Amino acid sequence: MHQRRFRGLILAVICILFFVVSFPMNEWFCETMPRHQLLQLPAMFFLGMIAALLFSKYPAIDTSWGIAILILIMASFVFWMLPHSIDAAVINPWFNRVMHLNMVAAGFLIMMISGNIIFEIKIAFFWMVSAMVLAIGITLKSFNILLCSSFTIGQQSETGFYLLIAGFVLFLVTMFIFFHGLASRSRNRKILSAN
Amino acid sequence: MKKILIPVVALAICLLVIWKWTYGFTAFTIFSYTLKEAGTNPRVFPDIAMIDQDSNVFHIRDKHKYVLINFVYLNCPYVCHKVNNQLEQIYHLADPSLVPSQLQFITMSFDLKNDDVQKIRKYRSYFGKDIEGWTFTLPFQTRETDFANFLNKIGVWKYMVPSTGIINHSIYLFLVSPDQKIVSVFDPARQTNEQIIQKIESCIKEDSGD
Repeated sequence: MHQRRFRGLILAVICILFFVVSFPMNEWFCETMPRHQLLQLPAMFFLGMIAALLFSKYPAIDTSWGIAILILIMASFVFWMLPHSIDAAVINPWFNRVMHLNMVAAGFLIMMISGNIIFEIKIAFFWMVSAMVLAIGITLKSFNILLCSSFTIGQQSETGFYLLIAGFVLFLVTMFIFFHGLASRSRNRKILSAN
Repeated sequence: MKKILIPVVALAICLLVIWKWTYGFTAFTIFSYTLKEAGTNPRVFPDIAMIDQDSNVFHIRDKHKYVLINFVYLNCPYVCHKVNNQLEQIYHLADPSLVPSQLQFITMSFDLKNDDVQKIRKYRSYFGKDIEGWTFTLPFQTRETDFANFLNKIGVWKYMVPSTGIINHSIYLFLVSPDQKIVSVFDPARQTNEQIIQKIESCIKEDSGD
């Protein structure tokens, strides 16, 4: 009973945060490109992840559905990183809210499938995401022409710089998880063969 | 088989959505999307009354020659002036037998609220005196909504950033034929001056049967 109440409280906090980021604070987040792309978008994704943590059991998902969900999540990132989508989202707050819901759903789904999907696919997915973030970072940093009409070239370049850092950090973290996973696998194999 | 099909269908749906959203993976920015949405060339250049730096009111259709038209925002902090500097180079590189007898350059201001004839006359003076075939204009007695419709029809995106008041817009150059059709669109950020001139001259020469 106590745990249920705690979950309900956390869920309420998530809903309030979603509302605050999506409604009263939306104008502030849409004022500059780094705020919109580096704060608002990931904030929604992390809210989705936190919401997923409240559930102790997820429906069992086989590998093919897991891959399909990862494709949908990846496509969501690609879609909301397109300059056309960014402009449309900044100009139309309701379109921006579609992005918010999509990111919350993406965060929720990634947590939901993470326990079900095999290690190699997870690593491949995170490497693809880091490659995508790095590619977008390079594009935004190096392009000397305005890609989004809602922002300035300076903001575009700044966003590119931080995306480069984010992509690099994500790449390193994935590398660490990969080699850590490999090491624990070989340890397990040794234990099994010793037995 | 079914197991492979699920991710393949998911990928196909995602690609379809992005394909539709980007006009077949060709328009990734709102500038290129607006241009694609306006239609393929050749297409009609909508009529609009303009007033030039000497207070003469005219229509492009009355010019009876090719017109290379671009748009400028005089308070632009950076890009517009760069584009107009490039246009100045194109003007001087173009075949003198074509400009201004067969080809006219027109630069039109976006800013209906702040720009006037004096401002565009002053702005034109920055480009020297030997630019007889280059006219700087403003839309004449045009309401904001009509001007927005005009821009939409030709495929120019214009957006005023609420926090700064700066107008961000497409920087395309439109080549309009004497029968008032957009025959070619150039992107000065991606095309060189030589490529632009070559295309303009080939259009004019093709038309005159050379």
